[in-house]
Amino acid sequence: MAYAYLFKYIIIGDTGVGKSCLLLQFTDKRFQPVHDLTIGVEFGARMITIDGKQIKLQIWDTAGQESFRSITRSYYRGAAGALLVYDITRRDTFNHLTTWLEDARQHSNSNMVIMLIGNKSDLESRREVKKEEGEAFAREHGLIFMETSAKTASNVEEAFINTAKEIYEKIQEGVFDINNEANGIKIGPQHAATNSTLSGGQGGQQAGGGCC
Amino acid sequence: MEKANGARTPQQPQHRINVPSTAKERVSSVDPYGFERSNDFDYESYEELMSEYLTVLTKRSIKWSKLLQGKSRLEKNFKVKRYVRKGIPNEHRALIWMEASGSQEQMEKNPGYYHSLLQLQHDPKLVETIRTDLHRTFPDNVQFRKTAEPCLQKPLYNVLLAYGHHNKAVGYCQGMNFIAGYLLIITKDEEKSFWLMEALLSRILPDYYTPAMLGLKTDQEVLGELVKVKVPAVWQVMNEHNVMWTLVVSRWFICLFIDVLPVETVLRIWDCLFYEGSKILFRVALTLIRHNQALISQSRNLPDICDRFKQITRGAFVEDCHPFLQKIFKEPGSLSMATITKLRAACRARIVAEES
Repeated sequence: MAYAYLFKYIIIGDTGVGKSCLLLQFTDKRFQPVHDLTIGVEFGARMITIDGKQIKLQIWDTAGQESFRSITRSYYRGAAGALLVYDITRRDTFNHLTTWLEDARQHSNSNMVIMLIGNKSDLESRREVKKEEGEAFAREHGLIFMETSAKTASNVEEAFINTAKEIYEKIQEGVFDINNEANGIKIGPQHAATNSTLSGGQGGQQAGGGCC
Repeated sequence: MEKANGARTPQQPQHRINVPSTAKERVSSVDPYGFERSNDFDYESYEELMSEYLTVLTKRSIKWSKLLQGKSRLEKNFKVKRYVRKGIPNEHRALIWMEASGSQEQMEKNPGYYHSLLQLQHDPKLVETIRTDLHRTFPDNVQFRKTAEPCLQKPLYNVLLAYGHHNKAVGYCQGMNFIAGYLLIITKDEEKSFWLMEALLSRILPDYYTPAMLGLKTDQEVLGELVKVKVPAVWQVMNEHNVMWTLVVSRWFICLFIDVLPVETVLRIWDCLFYEGSKILFRVALTLIRHNQALISQSRNLPDICDRFKQITRGAFVEDCHPFLQKIFKEPGSLSMATITKLRAACRARIVAEES
């Protein structure tokens, strides 16, 4: 499983907004209605293709409760992308976005791409936050925005992939220094064609393996 | 257990003698505590293991009954400590935990206190945070299902709410829901669960659950220091790949091994936790790491390390709780409380300095 690039993501946002469910839907294509809550940090990975290039996403799913912030903050460093998630059926989770954003900006590298996600779009009847409000917040703070449903899988692929596209474009523009791992990007071993076949065979045996 | 299984197939004619032919048919798909066994649960090995462990349990049960006969209070001495390390039979567990941790004494000194906490005006924020987690606490346990009769979600809510009011500095922190849940499963009593929780959070564990989580961060680092000395190969691989200890062990400490190790093993660890204190957590962690040092030190990268740290908490080594509990007192070698205290002070000072 050779890749051209590896991007490190973090998923942040209030507790219960569906961070782990988004990750599970993206990596395993399934929805678990009753999910154990995340303590500390969990981890997932998936390969995607952008511009004909294999890109490995290494995704860190963090606990949302306030107490855990002092621990999860250490993961902001070295992330190329962040999914900042709120729940469209809980106004509180939207109101806390500013705090999350400040936290993320303060502890991450300045080029980190942030995707704002209004999750649970399937629960239209319980909606408390209008789509326009999400869009406005994103515009104001220079974020990309999408509403998703981890339950129906609506926009989940797009959210993860569009974030990667944005990072990829930044690489092309030379904004990211890809030789500095603190930016959350690694160049894969694909350039040496013979080597990649060999290492691919080994890395493929284990989930989350590969040379990263 | 067989009864429960039989009850699920009412179509079976009553008179026919039905001899279950496989372990999966003989063993219930729900464990004695209400947890559903996972799809990949190995019924064959479990049955084999239980046939041996049942002998141990019976023997321990007789010894404990004798020890407790005619006593209303538990004396702490070398013999009792040895007994605790060999496992408290489930029928005495609540009593011994209450006695050993001083919870019984606290409860008797403060009659009505628990219920008075529940009568207080509730902080709406606290209520909401707890409610968010109720259905996310042990979804795999039949006793916590909304449809269960009685359902443990309400007692869980009460214990957490009462504790949040009792200890405002902590309020409610995720992880406490799992701990309260286990306490309710074992004691079947809200008030006792509350006082055991109080013993854990205020006396047994250093501040794991306060907003700054300083005690937790400290203990993760202390474990790192212990690994450096006792299992250098693992320390080296962690260092090489720049892996923070919190990434692989935070759940171990916050949940006191709930959902990390098998239920029976966790309960055996908690027997010692209530009797001897938090040092036991290091013994368990060090045993897991040391026993699997070859596996861990072969990790090729950070995700690989994370995977292997999960892998070492599964399998026969941890399922077989009796030998495992014997190992934790041998495998890590000597571990004095003086060492832990010294390391805690040093690590704490380092963290405080880094954060300021």
